[in-house]
Amino acid sequence: METSSLTWLAADYHFPATYSCRVPMSSQNCARVCPSPGPATVRLALIRASIEVFGLPYVERVLFPHIRAMSVQVRPPECVAISTQVLRAYKVEDATETLIEAPVSREMAHAEGPTTIYLEVPLSLREPFSQVLSMIGYWGQASGLAWCQSIQIEAPRPEQCVRPLRLFPEQVPARPFFSCILSEFRDTEVAWEEVMPVISTRHKNPLRLDVYIWPLALLQEQGSGKLYRRTPFER
Amino acid sequence: MTDTMDSDAGVVALEIVDHAIKDGDATKKQFPPHIYELSINVRATWQAQSTSNAGSNGSNRLMPRRQCLADSTETDACSGNIAKHAHAQLAAEYLEAAGCSLCPACKARDGRRAAALTDQPDTKNLSIEWIVRNCGLCDTHGFLVTAKNASSDGSTEARQRLSKHSLIEFSFALALPERHAETIQVVTRMGDSKDEGQMLMKMTARSGEYAYCVRYKCAGIGLDTDKWRLILADEEERGRRHRAMLLALRDGLLSPQGALTATMLPHLTGLKGVIVVCPSTGRAPIYSALQDDWISRLCALESETCIVAPFETIDTFNLLMQDLIEDTHPALPAACQRSSESSVGAGNARDQLA
Repeated sequence: METSSLTWLAADYHFPATYSCRVPMSSQNCARVCPSPGPATVRLALIRASIEVFGLPYVERVLFPHIRAMSVQVRPPECVAISTQVLRAYKVEDATETLIEAPVSREMAHAEGPTTIYLEVPLSLREPFSQVLSMIGYWGQASGLAWCQSIQIEAPRPEQCVRPLRLFPEQVPARPFFSCILSEFRDTEVAWEEVMPVISTRHKNPLRLDVYIWPLALLQEQGSGKLYRRTPFER
Repeated sequence: MTDTMDSDAGVVALEIVDHAIKDGDATKKQFPPHIYELSINVRATWQAQSTSNAGSNGSNRLMPRRQCLADSTETDACSGNIAKHAHAQLAAEYLEAAGCSLCPACKARDGRRAAALTDQPDTKNLSIEWIVRNCGLCDTHGFLVTAKNASSDGSTEARQRLSKHSLIEFSFALALPERHAETIQVVTRMGDSKDEGQMLMKMTARSGEYAYCVRYKCAGIGLDTDKWRLILADEEERGRRHRAMLLALRDGLLSPQGALTATMLPHLTGLKGVIVVCPSTGRAPIYSALQDDWISRLCALESETCIVAPFETIDTFNLLMQDLIEDTHPALPAACQRSSESSVGAGNARDQLA
């Protein structure tokens, strides 16, 4: 694995309409959403987009060892509104394992301002990772269209980024902030075969779950919607 | 909206748009012969529509769909699911008319597509190769065959998950908060059985300007997009599928479809926006038409790798789409170009590389 010095890339994503990144473990029939993608979603999106740009062999050999191990930080949009929508969807019936049509409830988010994804990448791979970041076209569901409007070299400000609860000092009150479970890669040694869904053999679960806190405070509740505004954590 | 784009560039682009519209040149846009991806960012004006609703919640009132926006306003919305469903129906008709093959499920317009074939004896051993080669609709609109464990008594076999993402994606259509209105209409309808007789229902007729975006990744036609591996090397067939998708997309915007259109067909009274085309590997920018400057912002992004075509009327949009339908072909992704140079599809790949 390439181990030259590291640099931070910051990619801003514009959400032109609604999007829906489901909270892990929430029911598909009554899905809660988080205000922006979590770290495992970012890593999986990087794998998917890099296969499109560079092809499978290069990604497996060159980029994947970095994708599974790199530091990922996520800064949510300035404002996020979340509403519940009733939609008609196909779901898998437990008994017969066939698809049936049913009404489902799913939260949808609308954002003001970009969400920023920060990646710490080797200097020598700055260009390929910039290209991959620019190719990510949605977050969550495919209908959650997103467009990468700029990429800069910029380090994250930790007080503005999503953080696992266990990293909070004991005295900081986490209560006014949005919180939910998010998934992250199990460790930095997750194997390629564990994350590629096209391979049918069973492997260990490559993901682990953790409670995360978002620097987003509830501003108001109205009708079926909730509005959150970015509020940095105390340093 | 936080903005990182250059405001001066936006002003220049506005002038270009004005100039093009005054000269009537906006319709003559030179699109590249091969397209990797395109996006359509529009503001459509619909009158008296009820194409997407949120159910009745057990009452006699059909609820309109509402979405809370990040500026704290609540606005009317139409789900992207219904737009995609209508597009798939139209695309199936165009694909059949063009002589493209469809799988038995899509021929019967089964919305589950390839997933509906798993219990059929003839098509039990499905593969991604078979589906992509034999069904233009599963190839373009995507499908999901869920994995299944073998039963303990051995009566059913295990099944591997098979899927392809849709190549066309529709956002929610969101009404401009200060430019939409709603009227409640009382209508009569028959109950489920004869005994229930006639009942009164309240339905809403909504009017307004709606912002929405569509992205179409045409380079994925004929590919397994999980591995970005070319399966359908017949370029003629890829072209036919591409044209069917564009024709259905054009019709969907010019003739709105959705729920309740049997008695509440929307009046389309305006359509303006931007078509953005990427000729080679790249994401076509999408920018919300909720922002008043969306046309100038997108026009400011014009470059060799990002062709931008603004339009202000339905006829200009129609002409631009006609150019795309007649003159363009889906590009091959870079990874496929490298691997297919020695295979059947190499001719097209070499042309593009040159």
